[in-house]
Amino acid sequence: MGIQLKERYEAVGREMGPLGRMKLAMLTKMSSTAAADAEDSSSNLSLIDDAIAQLRKAM
Amino acid sequence: MRISTKLIAITLGSGVIVSGLILSLVLELKSVSTGYTHILQGPVLQAAAARQAQVDFNVQVLDWKDILLRGQDPGDLAKHRLQFQAQQAKVKAEVEALAVGVDDATSRTLLTDFLITNDTLNAKYQAAYGVYVKQGLNSKAADAMVRADELAPNDIFDYVVTQLNAQAVASAANEKAKAIRQLVILLMIVGGLLVVDSVVYCMVLFGVIKRLGQLKAVSDRLAVADIEGLSIDISGHDEIGAIGDSLKGVEAALHELLAVHAH
Repeated sequence: MGIQLKERYEAVGREMGPLGRMKLAMLTKMSSTAAADAEDSSSNLSLIDDAIAQLRKAM
Repeated sequence: MRISTKLIAITLGSGVIVSGLILSLVLELKSVSTGYTHILQGPVLQAAAARQAQVDFNVQVLDWKDILLRGQDPGDLAKHRLQFQAQQAKVKAEVEALAVGVDDATSRTLLTDFLITNDTLNAKYQAAYGVYVKQGLNSKAADAMVRADELAPNDIFDYVVTQLNAQAVASAANEKAKAIRQLVILLMIVGGLLVVDSVVYCMVLFGVIKRLGQLKAVSDRLAVADIEGLSIDISGHDEIGAIGDSLKGVEAALHELLAVHAH
């Protein structure tokens, strides 16, 4: 299960609020529910990390 | 491949096919024109030259009659004899040139026959002239020696002209058949290419219409946030695939919004 993925989503929620979570979902094409069900694979982690970096850059 | 690239490729393909058709038709027209020019410059022109040689031959015969009828005066006799000899040389040169230039073997043989017959006739004219002078310019015996001898050479000219005209007609029919054959082949090739082009165009068009329909169905559901059980399966490396991919982001964002709202 995507424990690390879900943690990253929660971190983004704390850092950027609900809008940040929505933007993260839009960039990764994966909601937090889907992230929780997904595998913590390197490709998924890389996808979400890249999206978070993109969001931080845009802030 | 992008849709725009496909459409440009199909349009360019159609343009190349149509340009090829136009170019081929121009070349075909040139080929037909060249074929008919060869006929005109060959048997048609040679038939006209044979007719001209026949006319000149008959002028030669008239010049002979002028010697007999108007040669009572020594001055007139010399003048008409010169005219006759000049005409003899002209006819011989014309027929020799024609015999060399003519392509048709039968016509060449006939012209060679004419030259032999004409040489014999000229020898008879020479002998008749000797009799004419020897008998004190009495034309009766000289005329009897060559009377009606011009008929056979005239017939040869008629055969040559008939033969060359028949060759011209046969060549024209051959050119026509060749042109029709080439045109049919050309139209079959171009028609085949246009059919292939049209089939590819229809496949692209119907593919785009079908996927646009799928895109619209997804878009309609996203517009009312009806995302429960929504599956966006619009793939591909083109513009529609890219829009479908973007809609997956919108769907995920809507899911997230609903999840945030639920908490």
